[in-house]
Amino acid sequence: MTSQTGSDDPAISCRNVWQVFGPNAKTALADAKAKAGGDSDVAAQSLRDQGLIPAVQDASFDVHNGELFVIMGLSGSGKSTIVRCISQLLQATGGEILIEGENLVNATKARLIELRRRKLGMVFQHFGLFPHMTVTENVAFPLKMQGQNKADRIKRALEVIELVGLKGREDSYPRQLSGGQRQRVGIARSLAVNPDIWFLDEPFSALDPLIRRQLQDEFINIQATLKKSIVFITHDIAEALKIADRIAIMRDGKIVQIGTPTEIVLNPVDDYVREFSKDVAKGRHARVASVMQPATGADASGPSLRQDMTLEAALAECITQYDAVAVKDADGKVIGQVDPSVLAKALQAEET
Amino acid sequence: MMADDHSPARPGALSGLTPRTRAALVAVLVGAICLLLGPSLPWLVKWPDAWTIPAAEWIGTSLTWFLTLIKPVARFFSMLLGYPMEWANALFTGTPWPITIGIVTALGWFIGGWAMALLGLGGLSFVLASGYWLESMATLSLVAVSVPLALLMGGGIGILANEVPRIKSGLQTMMDVMQTVPTFAYLTPLLLLFGFGPVVGLIASAIYAAPPMARNVILGLERVEEDIKEAAIMSGGTRIQQLFLIEIPSAATQIMIGVNQCLMAALSMVIIAAVIGGFNDIGWEVLLTMRKAQFGQAMLAGLVIVVFAIVIDRMSGHLATNPHRHDKRVSLGIIAATCVIAALLWTRLPDPSQIAWLQPIADGLDSGLSSFTVANGAALDALKNGSMFYGLLPLRIGLDSAVLPFTWGFQWTTQMSLILYAAGIAIAIVLAMRGRPTLGLTLLCLIGVLETGIAELPWPFVLIGAGAIGWVAGGRKLAMFAVLMLGAILISGLWEKALLSLYLSGVSVLTCAVLGGLIGLLCAVSPLAWRVVQPICDMLQTIPLFVFLIPVLMFFQIGEFSAYLAICLYAIVPMIRYTRHGLINTPEDLIEAAVSSGATEWQTMFEVRAPYAAPTILLGLNQTILYAFAMLVIAALIGTTGLGQSIYLALGSADVGLGIASGAAMAILALVADRLVQGFADERRKALGL
Repeated sequence: MTSQTGSDDPAISCRNVWQVFGPNAKTALADAKAKAGGDSDVAAQSLRDQGLIPAVQDASFDVHNGELFVIMGLSGSGKSTIVRCISQLLQATGGEILIEGENLVNATKARLIELRRRKLGMVFQHFGLFPHMTVTENVAFPLKMQGQNKADRIKRALEVIELVGLKGREDSYPRQLSGGQRQRVGIARSLAVNPDIWFLDEPFSALDPLIRRQLQDEFINIQATLKKSIVFITHDIAEALKIADRIAIMRDGKIVQIGTPTEIVLNPVDDYVREFSKDVAKGRHARVASVMQPATGADASGPSLRQDMTLEAALAECITQYDAVAVKDADGKVIGQVDPSVLAKALQAEET
Repeated sequence: MMADDHSPARPGALSGLTPRTRAALVAVLVGAICLLLGPSLPWLVKWPDAWTIPAAEWIGTSLTWFLTLIKPVARFFSMLLGYPMEWANALFTGTPWPITIGIVTALGWFIGGWAMALLGLGGLSFVLASGYWLESMATLSLVAVSVPLALLMGGGIGILANEVPRIKSGLQTMMDVMQTVPTFAYLTPLLLLFGFGPVVGLIASAIYAAPPMARNVILGLERVEEDIKEAAIMSGGTRIQQLFLIEIPSAATQIMIGVNQCLMAALSMVIIAAVIGGFNDIGWEVLLTMRKAQFGQAMLAGLVIVVFAIVIDRMSGHLATNPHRHDKRVSLGIIAATCVIAALLWTRLPDPSQIAWLQPIADGLDSGLSSFTVANGAALDALKNGSMFYGLLPLRIGLDSAVLPFTWGFQWTTQMSLILYAAGIAIAIVLAMRGRPTLGLTLLCLIGVLETGIAELPWPFVLIGAGAIGWVAGGRKLAMFAVLMLGAILISGLWEKALLSLYLSGVSVLTCAVLGGLIGLLCAVSPLAWRVVQPICDMLQTIPLFVFLIPVLMFFQIGEFSAYLAICLYAIVPMIRYTRHGLINTPEDLIEAAVSSGATEWQTMFEVRAPYAAPTILLGLNQTILYAFAMLVIAALIGTTGLGQSIYLALGSADVGLGIASGAAMAILALVADRLVQGFADERRKALGL
């Protein structure tokens, strides 16, 4: 049931999405935008002055097929609002949201129900399990909505329950499960219809650190086999860096930077983003490629680095070197060089 | 710049007056003006009749016209309802009693195991033994028809409010009014619509019991976690699927609490509706025996009602709060066994109306009671008269009229009034000097009220006083609300009756606040006391209003004092509960902080627990006020003056205008009191950052 469109359309595309809370938000937004003449900050400020809340401000980004796109920000930054706009739990006040090229903002109710039954899956921070249903019934519920018969949906539910490692708890009720187990049910339910697009709204935030790490690892494994297009919301930079293909950082409703984990860590656009990555051990996330310079005659026969090594590993490798060290690709070909002092400097930056 | 803006508070100086002080000052000034000018300008004290509009007549005429218009529909409806009622009645009274007892016991087992089964068995056996089996079954059949109606209406309203948020606040106000308008008041128009007969009681009880259901449905649906609602949406459910497959089942516990409250309200109302007669049910039996002064029998019939209330309440309550069910097969076995017994003993089964095993006890109680009241008549009278002469009467008509040589031993003179006022002013000045001007002025107001009497307060003082309180509690809007609402009563010509009602409920509320507060405090301090008081509170809250009248009548006969006692008995419970609850539930870290600062237990109680509990206690007071107003109308049956009496009289003479107008006036008093106290509670909560 994976996407067969084959077109170049990104899985999700947000264009100039606004979400404004307050009375008559739509007209107020149109007015503010017209008056501001294209400057979204000015428009947002004028909305705030009128007592409205621009929770998402002019957000634009694409999520590609099979990409794990993380939206990161502090509480109140609008990250949960934007995922609700995409999943149409909230109707965006302005802008376009396209799923595989189809604009959802104008979609009918029936079309949305259809999309949710076939294409979209969502995991919630507080699990959102139905208290009056067993694990199996919970997981089978979206299939029931699809209109599948009982035998089929039970069969599929049991498959997904096994996938998330809950075999044996099929007949338990949510109240009888631990937090980690509950979120496994939430994940299983969201995967039951085999959606192409998967929303996860802070799925691990309500869990203990140990359980959180375990579920993150399992999540990465699941994604490695399923290759969904994912929007993943988190407030935890370490989590974002660990799992993301790309990260969007939000602040006060605005997306301030979009980039790969490495870009975010090594080239923060402003102090706000820098502040986030400050506590992160950069060496563990940035790769050698990000500090590599063109090869200008480094000794290819001496110790060498590979471009996909983390900075930490690279420094350990060439800690005793004074001269530039060659960087080779997987085939052993020299593709550049790194000066140990540059390496050390890149790692040091986080201390200041 | 800061220094310029910041003028230091100078006690006594006008510029430094807080809003509270200003409000109190205005009230005192208005009172003083009324007092001084009253003798020369009588309209300042008593609203002239010429200024009133005949609201009751207008309402009567227009309502009668309207009711006559829809009467055919109503009669048709009542005919329709007649069928299920007859069927239910035939079913309940026709089923052999062993089977009925067996079914209830089996149901008890299924819901809650041994305890509930025994409760059902014991309860119904008592009903059988009392000799009121058939009457009880008649009552039960009314409940059995009215409750499904109420559940449907309430559930429908609740879902509607949830689905259409725009009308939610409107619906909630409507339900507020439905529950504050005294039950007797809307019996009158119903009587006109549906004619005499049990259908009126049925419909009244359905109307009365629907709001609690609707409220709980709204609350339950509101409280369904956002994540659960969103998960239902994201699973691709249609709105109907989301509602019925996810949201309603998720709110099941709260909705079952609604069912419980609905059952209790329906039972209570069915019994009250007995006053219009026409149906041989247990409420009627109580009324009849009470009128014949057969208090033993009345007590027995009252106990039957109480037993019903307890069985219904505990079983449906258990159903709501405990999801665990017991083995169905045991229940089926019990029913089968009783069926077999009933079949075997078919011919020898005594007719339930012939059973009167407890009648001798009732007779004994009756004669015992008679001899007790005869033997202790002097003491009871002394208690009653003492409370009347030294407590109730002065508050009602003021010291100036109540202090007579015949009771107090001396005659109140103008001079004494002057001395009293002078003392009040002196105290107020002293308090003002010490930086407590509001307290002083309030005290002065209270002295004025005591001297004049609540029922004889000048109307400008009441209006402005209520407005001032409203202003302090919730700002200009609340003040306007209070003044306009009370003004409506004033010009409708029901003012004097309203003041009488205000007096009786005020005195009862005051008693409940002081006594209930103390008992609540005691229960907060001593778990042992709570273990004694809790079952009594549970009991008092389960008993239908009507039954409270029996014991007070037994000892103190018809009259204001009995009414006062009945109101207090009923209205004291929330005060006790909320006071204890507030004092007990102080956050642990606050207590620890106090203890580690070296506070003793009592210091912790008064310095930390009490201020923190203030909003909760105020809510308790609010409930107590509403309870008092509810009981006030019922107490009209045993002799009170005021609005309750008017409502009751209107019911007797089918005077729709008077009934509705008085009911509305009563509702206004209750609503104004409710909003004022709520305002204070909100203000306290905000001040505490809750």
